[in-house]
Amino acid sequence: MGASLPPKEANLFKLIVKSYESKQYKKGLKAADAILKKFPDHGETLSMKGLTLNCMDRKPEAYDLVRLGLKNDLKSHVCWHVYGLLYRSDREYREAIKCYRNALRIDPDNIEILRDLSLLQAQMRDLTGFVETRQQLLSLKPNHRMNWIGFAVAHHLNSNCSKAVEILEAYEGTLEDDYPPDNERCEHGEMLLYKISLLEECSSHERALEELHKKESKIVDKLSLKEQEVSLLVKLGRLEEGAELYKALLSINPDNYRYCEGLQRCVGLYSENGLSSSDTDQLDALYKSLGQQYTWSSAVKRIPLDFLQGNKFREAADNYIRPLLTKGVPSLFSDLSPLYDHPGKADILEKLILELENSLRISGGYPGRSEKEPPSTLMWTLFLLAQHYDRRGQYDVALSKIDEAIKHTPTVIDLYSVKSRILKHAGDLAAAATLADEARCMDLADRYINSECVKRMLQADQVVLAEKTALLFTKDGDQHNNLHDMQCMWYELASGESYFRQGDLGRALKKFLAVEKHYADITEDQFDFHSYCLRKMTLRAYVEMLKFQDRLHSHAYFRKAAAGAIRCYIKLFDSPPKSTAEEDDEMSKLPSSQRKKMRQKQKKAEARAKKEAEVRNEESSASGVSKLGKRHVKPVDPDPNGEKLLQVEDPLLEATKYLKLLQKHSPDSLETHLLSFEVNMRKKKILLALQAVKQLLRLDAESADSHRCLVRFFHEVGTMTSPVTDAEKLVWSVLEAERPLISQLREKSLTEANMIFFEKHEDSLMHRAAVAEMLSVLEPNKKLEAVKLIEDSTNNPAPINGALGPVNEWKLKDCIAVHKLLVAVLNDPDAALRWKLRCAQYFPCSTYFEGKCSSAASNSVHAQIAKNPENGGASHSDGGEIADFVESNGKMEAFKDLNI
Amino acid sequence: MVCVRKATMDDLLAMQACNLLCLPENYQMKYYFYHILSWPHLLYVAEDYNGRIVGYVLAKMEEESNECHGHITSLAVLRTHRKLGLATKLMKAAQTAMEQVFGAEYVSLHVRKSNRAAFNLYTETLGYKIHDVEAKYYADGEDAYDMRKQLKGKQNHHHGHHHHHHGGGCCSADARPVEAQPESKSEAKAST
Repeated sequence: MGASLPPKEANLFKLIVKSYESKQYKKGLKAADAILKKFPDHGETLSMKGLTLNCMDRKPEAYDLVRLGLKNDLKSHVCWHVYGLLYRSDREYREAIKCYRNALRIDPDNIEILRDLSLLQAQMRDLTGFVETRQQLLSLKPNHRMNWIGFAVAHHLNSNCSKAVEILEAYEGTLEDDYPPDNERCEHGEMLLYKISLLEECSSHERALEELHKKESKIVDKLSLKEQEVSLLVKLGRLEEGAELYKALLSINPDNYRYCEGLQRCVGLYSENGLSSSDTDQLDALYKSLGQQYTWSSAVKRIPLDFLQGNKFREAADNYIRPLLTKGVPSLFSDLSPLYDHPGKADILEKLILELENSLRISGGYPGRSEKEPPSTLMWTLFLLAQHYDRRGQYDVALSKIDEAIKHTPTVIDLYSVKSRILKHAGDLAAAATLADEARCMDLADRYINSECVKRMLQADQVVLAEKTALLFTKDGDQHNNLHDMQCMWYELASGESYFRQGDLGRALKKFLAVEKHYADITEDQFDFHSYCLRKMTLRAYVEMLKFQDRLHSHAYFRKAAAGAIRCYIKLFDSPPKSTAEEDDEMSKLPSSQRKKMRQKQKKAEARAKKEAEVRNEESSASGVSKLGKRHVKPVDPDPNGEKLLQVEDPLLEATKYLKLLQKHSPDSLETHLLSFEVNMRKKKILLALQAVKQLLRLDAESADSHRCLVRFFHEVGTMTSPVTDAEKLVWSVLEAERPLISQLREKSLTEANMIFFEKHEDSLMHRAAVAEMLSVLEPNKKLEAVKLIEDSTNNPAPINGALGPVNEWKLKDCIAVHKLLVAVLNDPDAALRWKLRCAQYFPCSTYFEGKCSSAASNSVHAQIAKNPENGGASHSDGGEIADFVESNGKMEAFKDLNI
Repeated sequence: MVCVRKATMDDLLAMQACNLLCLPENYQMKYYFYHILSWPHLLYVAEDYNGRIVGYVLAKMEEESNECHGHITSLAVLRTHRKLGLATKLMKAAQTAMEQVFGAEYVSLHVRKSNRAAFNLYTETLGYKIHDVEAKYYADGEDAYDMRKQLKGKQNHHHGHHHHHHGGGCCSADARPVEAQPESKSEAKAST
């Protein structure tokens, strides 16, 4: 490095490198300039200066200098290496790899460059290349532990477990017998556990167990050791020993459900599909004995509720629930809620809890007990009942129970949170937000109730208020971006969805793309750990992390963000924003004085924004070097409202980017293919749309949405003009060949297929709605018939095992979707009004249907709330925005509830 | 009711979400990666019957000081899941691992002076003592108690001789990812 320079400058060059490594960029810059004064064309110095500037936020200069340096000294590995580092800093990994390779062509054994290359190969999952590079590093420096480990891990990642084991054993062969010294015990133990897990992975269970016993004393992490041992014992069929070990693990942590499950497997009492009654008895006995041993464990008390039935279930549930009500455990309902999916158990629970309630009211104690309960027990029982009725869709009963609980003890915050949730389910989003805000005000220091309140406000489309409320808990009071910096994705998603509902596509896109960016950043996060973990020896965790990264984009938040962005782009395509010409046109309609004023105002605002941006940017570069050090002021967001995002030339091209990620990472989600259908139909990509239809049928041929896409697809291609070009003819021949293979169609006409689907799903509202919609598409003159199909639907009591009380099948969100269909697709305002009145009966709290108990109704208790301008009111009741999307998308339920 | 177990990679996003719901001190995903890739033994989660993460403890080993000791970076339990003793269970699990795997001599944490519920948990249930007060520790200007709990100390695994080491050992200080360590303001909040 710097070899061609005289001694003084060569020393200065070393100083640049050192300063770069220690992040003293100013110093490095000075040294570089000193060399360049004498040797202005010195390639390596130019390169290093560029690299230094890159760290000082002077990117364009950096690239110019680095490229100039390289041009001046193409034979220097330093210049190539620096170029690679520059690309790497911009996440341009493929380009960086090319540069490193060029550098290595000049200096093939340069360890630093090889190491940098190996990191990129791991990052890009170029696993064959990774193996090669790690091998080279090992042969160059075999006395470095890290090189052995790196080589082994490379083989493991490249699916060659047994080779990885061989390498680790060869490495162990280089160690002294008394290895490790005390200060390397943890690392060495981790390496041994890693090796044993490798043996397990390549099915050498016997050898793995042998190794584990042999090295037991050298493995520091005894818990992992036991967990590894029990896994091997089970795989080797040594179940008795396995059971003993699981018991030992339970005595360490009786709250780990996985140990319970493992124990059940070992004693042959585990089955996904239920057990015989004699097995159930044995299992019951097992848990009773465990319960005596581990009195602290909640797991052993709760698990039997899953497998017990009938009277035994009732008895166990009774024993389980009583002490928790006495104690006032707020999560009791959520704990019991999975049981509502077991046939019959919800009814038993209802009867049971009602009996408790009754007894508490009459005698102040539980049935069959003479002791009195504290008054709070009744309150918690009402709390539980309210949630029970909420779950069953009996919102009126749920509300009366929770109101009674609040009257009983008005100071318990949880009651308000639950009431807020019931109101939300019942369809009064504005009232739900108000209640949540009331709860929030009862403890301003608790962020959880703040978050819950923000969520409710967003659901009620009170975005501004929600933002203000959320900011109460972020450090930079004025800078909203803190939520973004901290990757607060639930907030960004909920906010994006609200903007979308309100038709503000710019802001919606902004939020959805922000979440997408977090995922890109998380992918990027792994980079530093490729070398870190090899040193730290946390190899099992490291490999897990890589696997996690590989499936990162299948995570629910990403799916929601990508789907949201795609929907925005579709909508943008269907109704592009007004061009400036059009805006000018609109402005010209105004009187000239007003026009002038508006222009001036616009200009002023632009100038102000520009100035602010400059000031902030200056501040940021100044503080970058100030002694404040890390306090880096962010540059101002040039597009805070996402207006620029709306200016994309080809929205469908943008949509396709995210669609591809969904197709790759969420191929089994119906939504992925619904979106693919919508995008590709608009792009006139017939075969890709057909693919989407076929995927939908594969996943769920009975879904109303799949049916819609199938019918729409063949209807729309049927109305296209006959093929002219060869390519078109080819597409048609594929369609002709494919159509008879689709079992829903065969030789049938679309109308026939539609009616067959109807007969199959006559009892389901959503299926009837889909059939009606398709009928109106296929035969527009039959709209009245289509409307009748919908209006003839009946809201039957749901068959939940003879539930007590009027539990009806129809869901509020479905009824809203049907209403929108009647308004926007079937264009029948009279039918829509009839539907609305009918649903207002079923959902008296719904603001959408203006039910009599909702805040939208003038005589309701909550009416005042909705009129309060600050709360904004739920704009869901104004369904126009969503309705036209339903038409274009066919998917009724644009967004599922956001679970946080 | 709630399963308490060691955290896995797949829990990290949910831990971050739980943190953002409950606490004012938040961290980027990379900081969670840093913890689990450095001390996978010290992260525990509470998972409810629906598979939702309702609480977690994020802990680390302090590697700079001479005494090998653990530190609780963050502890949170959803408000809806109070009264189950989850915070206690999570803390005890992390403390045990610090002691057994790393031979930690003590464990430290910071807590807001105003957070009485957490303070009571630490002093009364878990046996922490105030070691110091750090003025204006939190971003909003509030002071923190620097609290410590003595553990049994380094156990000699089997050799029978006792080494005091400096900055080395299980808490070796040589490995640190570039920029993987944000300012680690920690917060522990819990409800009893």
